Amino acid sequence: MLAMPSATTLLIGLLALPSAVRAVFRDEVGHIDYHYQLLGLPKRETTFFHRPRKDEQGSLLYTLSDEGVLGAVNPGTGGVVWRQFLAGDSNNETAVGEGFARAGEGEGWVASAYGGEVHAWDAVTGRNTFWARFPGKVKDLEVMEMTEAERKDVLVLFEEEEKGETVLRRLNALNGDVVWEFREVTKDVPLQVSTNVEKVFVVFLKGTKGAYSLKVTTLDTLTGKRLDELVIGTKANLNDEGDIMLVGANSAAPIVAWTDAEHTALRVNVLGLKTSQEFPLVEGTVEVEIHAPHLIQSQPHFLVHSKTATGNKGEVYHIDLKTGHISKAYDLPLLPGKGAFATSSISANVYFTRITEDELILVSSQSHGVLGRWPLKNTNSKVASIHAVSEVIKKAGADGSYAVRSAALTADDEWALVRNGEIGWTRPEGLSGGVAATFAEIPESEELAKSLEQEAHSNPVQAYIHRVKRHINDLQYLPAYLNNVPTRLISSIAGTDVTSSAGKLSRDSFGFHKLVILATKRGMVYGLDIGNSGAAVWQKRAFQISKGQKWDVKGILVNESSGEVTILGAHNDFVVLKTETGQVISAKAPSSEATTQSTALIDTASGPRLLRIGLDGKIGDLPVDKAPKQTVVTRGADGELKGVVFIPDGTTAHESTSWIFSLPENQRVVSIATRPSHDAVASIGRVLGDRTVKYKYLNPNTIVVAAIDDKTWTLTVYLLDTVSGQILSSAKYNGVDPTKPVECAMAENWFVCSFFGQYTLRDNSAQSLKGYQIAVSDLYESEEANDRGPLGDASTFSSLDPVDVPTGVALPSVVSQTYIMGAPVSALQVSQTRQGITTRHILAYLPENHGIMGIPRMLLEPRRPVGRDATHAEIEEGLFRYHPAIEIDPKSVITHERDIVGIKKIITSPAIVESTSLVFAYGVDIFGTRVTPSFLFDILGKGFNKVSLVSTVLALFVGVTMLGPMVRKKQINLRWSAPM
Amino acid sequence: MRIPTLLSLLGAATALTHNNPPLQTSLTVHIPPSAPLPNPAALLPQTHATLNSLTKHHSAPLSDKSNFHFHNVTPGSYLLDIHCLTHAFLPLRVDISPSTSSFSSSSDPSEQSPIKIEAWETFRGNDWGNKGEKVSTEVSDGKSKMMVVVARMAGQKSYFMERSSFSVLSIFKNPIILLSLVSMGLFFGMPKLIENMDPEMRAEWEEQQKSNPMNALMGAASGQQGGGGMGNFDMAAFLAGSGGGKEDNKGGNNDGGKKKNR
Repeated sequence: MLAMPSATTLLIGLLALPSAVRAVFRDEVGHIDYHYQLLGLPKRETTFFHRPRKDEQGSLLYTLSDEGVLGAVNPGTGGVVWRQFLAGDSNNETAVGEGFARAGEGEGWVASAYGGEVHAWDAVTGRNTFWARFPGKVKDLEVMEMTEAERKDVLVLFEEEEKGETVLRRLNALNGDVVWEFREVTKDVPLQVSTNVEKVFVVFLKGTKGAYSLKVTTLDTLTGKRLDELVIGTKANLNDEGDIMLVGANSAAPIVAWTDAEHTALRVNVLGLKTSQEFPLVEGTVEVEIHAPHLIQSQPHFLVHSKTATGNKGEVYHIDLKTGHISKAYDLPLLPGKGAFATSSISANVYFTRITEDELILVSSQSHGVLGRWPLKNTNSKVASIHAVSEVIKKAGADGSYAVRSAALTADDEWALVRNGEIGWTRPEGLSGGVAATFAEIPESEELAKSLEQEAHSNPVQAYIHRVKRHINDLQYLPAYLNNVPTRLISSIAGTDVTSSAGKLSRDSFGFHKLVILATKRGMVYGLDIGNSGAAVWQKRAFQISKGQKWDVKGILVNESSGEVTILGAHNDFVVLKTETGQVISAKAPSSEATTQSTALIDTASGPRLLRIGLDGKIGDLPVDKAPKQTVVTRGADGELKGVVFIPDGTTAHESTSWIFSLPENQRVVSIATRPSHDAVASIGRVLGDRTVKYKYLNPNTIVVAAIDDKTWTLTVYLLDTVSGQILSSAKYNGVDPTKPVECAMAENWFVCSFFGQYTLRDNSAQSLKGYQIAVSDLYESEEANDRGPLGDASTFSSLDPVDVPTGVALPSVVSQTYIMGAPVSALQVSQTRQGITTRHILAYLPENHGIMGIPRMLLEPRRPVGRDATHAEIEEGLFRYHPAIEIDPKSVITHERDIVGIKKIITSPAIVESTSLVFAYGVDIFGTRVTPSFLFDILGKGFNKVSLVSTVLALFVGVTMLGPMVRKKQINLRWSAPM
Repeated sequence: MRIPTLLSLLGAATALTHNNPPLQTSLTVHIPPSAPLPNPAALLPQTHATLNSLTKHHSAPLSDKSNFHFHNVTPGSYLLDIHCLTHAFLPLRVDISPSTSSFSSSSDPSEQSPIKIEAWETFRGNDWGNKGEKVSTEVSDGKSKMMVVVARMAGQKSYFMERSSFSVLSIFKNPIILLSLVSMGLFFGMPKLIENMDPEMRAEWEEQQKSNPMNALMGAASGQQGGGGMGNFDMAAFLAGSGGGKEDNKGGNNDGGKKKNR
């Protein structure tokens, strides 16, 4: 194997892999799968219209979202032109939402900063023009509109928290070279950077938390030398970084504004001046936003948008450039409901667009005269906009009318484009940021369930009469059904899907039609109809999650019989919804403190439940009917694992620790895998080539725990018995990178773990390996074939009472093998089918390749012969020669050409047909499909050409009817002809 | 080979941080035009490259000049992967090592680079020391020289399976169908052929037929039952294994006779 390999031998190795890899057919794209290409919720400060080419008309809509995705959207169609997943780089850790994006007016690039990295991207193609990484964390990014050279440069403000240093760098926008650097070692908190024509301003918060004052440092644009430093008294009413609204960036007169905690007055300071002016706010203001133009040539006007609990109001102020005096120009009336303002500028003129719940209003910053007013059309409900960006075009011609398009984020987490009052498109960006999801059956109609129940509980005669009556009653639906037959027949022959009738959810006979309940970190819950390309059936805001927080969902469980889904959160919160309609049945809002470590799905006397496990693994006493029957494994305060059983005592059950598994020193748990709750096993053994059987070790009470030692770089994988806490098997891998993700998955009688490894071979120290690896272990009852081990055929066993004392507990025989993967994998999941007859696929997200791969289990078979070709018997068994490398075969990528970003978890569910497993993946994007690991053996796929079948039958029929008389005539002629 | 064009792309010289004790360098990987990808500018913008080693990870996006620039890379032996949706690239091994030989700016001796970059093809699942062809080249823009790693493309990715489509031609390619078509042609064509023969030739041909083993078949086909030779061989009887050939042969003959008399 270590003979000099060439690319061709590698290729042959690849080709020798079984053709069992079932790729996607081109005509199945969009038929069996669906994909939401999402960006995340756009943020107000980082969303803008920008013309990517100076000399071309037409602009694109750019945004850097709360998910860390920078994207360009075509404002005409709402389609994604390009996107870059800035938060996807595992080395680039940053708090959620700490990103910045800007574009220079008239420049062909978009600059972004995220974490410690600064990027500039070609605005049309999305290619990188430069990037740089600096120590510390970025606090602001600004485009310098006016430089001494013929270009616009980028200013980035970094905070190096450990050293207490603030660094402002001016980067050459063409190649990313540092033009100058301004460094200051103070304990002040850097806030933002602003420029006007001749100066650069850096704004700091000075002082201690609770009593901040503002410090403005003025720098020279050419050299970055400090020119001046001003401290602006805030009258000690500045408590927090969040109270600073905006440092009106980059306009002719940049400003900084802040309010007191009670939002009674707004204080505004024109940067470079020592004084600040105070303006009263509307009574009951809860939030204030400031909208100002970003261009130097724009007039120095700004708009203060104050939101009260019930309405919102705008006030426009003008700044006198000479004196720095701010004066109020006019008011925009207080309107009820939610609304948004957006600023746009055409050369020096500044326009403000106001989106209210039912109309779009355009005003100039000069006067309060309304330039355009468009009622919102095509909306069933009122649009509650959170924030918006607008593009204003002054139409040529004498009338001087305007055209406006605004991209607004609505309260339902949708991003909508309003073009002159008409909704152009909406993007369901709220579907991004999924934290939990589960499959749910479409509930059967309640009446049927009720009447069936009634029949079950009455005497046979009555039940029969009831049933006949029910069937007679059902006859009223017959004409509608018969009406449907022709369309169904035609669509069945043409191969198109029959959409569910009249928008009503109904199950199908294959079990493909299910719901997915998805909870997002923003407190939204969605019901997606996966039988209908994942279209949202309903959406519901479960909780209002405050800014900077996220809904930390710990468990989700569907109760199929009642048609309800329960979602448990970490902050002692829960919500119960109807799976069909999203109607909230009961809910408890999150408390301020996290109380939940995790949840466990348990069997109780009153059915399956989600059990909330408190911090440090504490559960507490439970009522007997809600106490788990199994052992619950929890994590203790020091990271140890505990097995907890509940001992009934009257009506309550007491928690009792039955075992504790403490890891050796220096080891920490990186991954835990359990068998899926639906893990059907079709056969208890594996028939070998010589017709002997190896029996699988199928212990339902096992978990896999992967622990890593950060010092020695060793990964230890333990297989634990959850009843006794006994280690059934353990394996140690050297040279495993603790900084890269380690993931495990488990099903049936085997488990896999993936990691990045770099080590010298144990059997040949001259050789070493490096790469992403996947280790697979099979568990059998005995080393020998046809042997059921010490337990024999016993139908029960106890982990606590070993069968034979000398050898202790019956340990599984483990066969392991390690493979090198062509790319890192994450979010491991095993495909599930109804009976488990179908072979399994290990579904894994490829974070670098932006796809989901289905690795056939057969490929990862640990019993593949090493160093020799497979014998005839082994080939019969499906084994083939071991080759250590598993390249990412595009045919095994179930997401094919789609670019899938940021998948956090994959869930699978069996369908009614055995061949198929339903797959749903969420994270940033949403992707769902059906996989058939052993091909589509029980239903006719799209490839089955019904037209040609029918036409063949018809052709044969015609042929027979035509040939019949001919043959008969010939035979008669033959008999009557005279012998020769 | 592609060095002259590379030069213009590599404006930024190898940047070295002199104050930091751990040596750091930047690394450039270039995608040249190749047969599967004549125009690298067509690659999707989310294409990126990663450098991996134990506890180290670097990622670089695709630049507008089809390069990947890695910054602040410390010495070590790295696995370089290029991740692309449409094309597959071969994995490369990149060694960055402190070295005495320098190739940095000659104009500024204080910036003598103590860093050496080498890159080879590597083979997944094989010994790390097992290196393939060297893929790093030195490029110079007159002032400074630097090493550039040239990416190797394995080919285009094809995600989809071809549907085996039904076509009439594919049926005719089947040898069994072809055989049956030939025999059908004989079945229908032979009698016509014989009828069109002139009587003399026909008599001659029939004479030949009597000694021809194919006669049995042809005779049946042409509706004529010749006697003698293999013509009166009874297959059914033979297969039934009933003893003496002669008597059976007779039976066969008789059968034929009966048919004639009908």
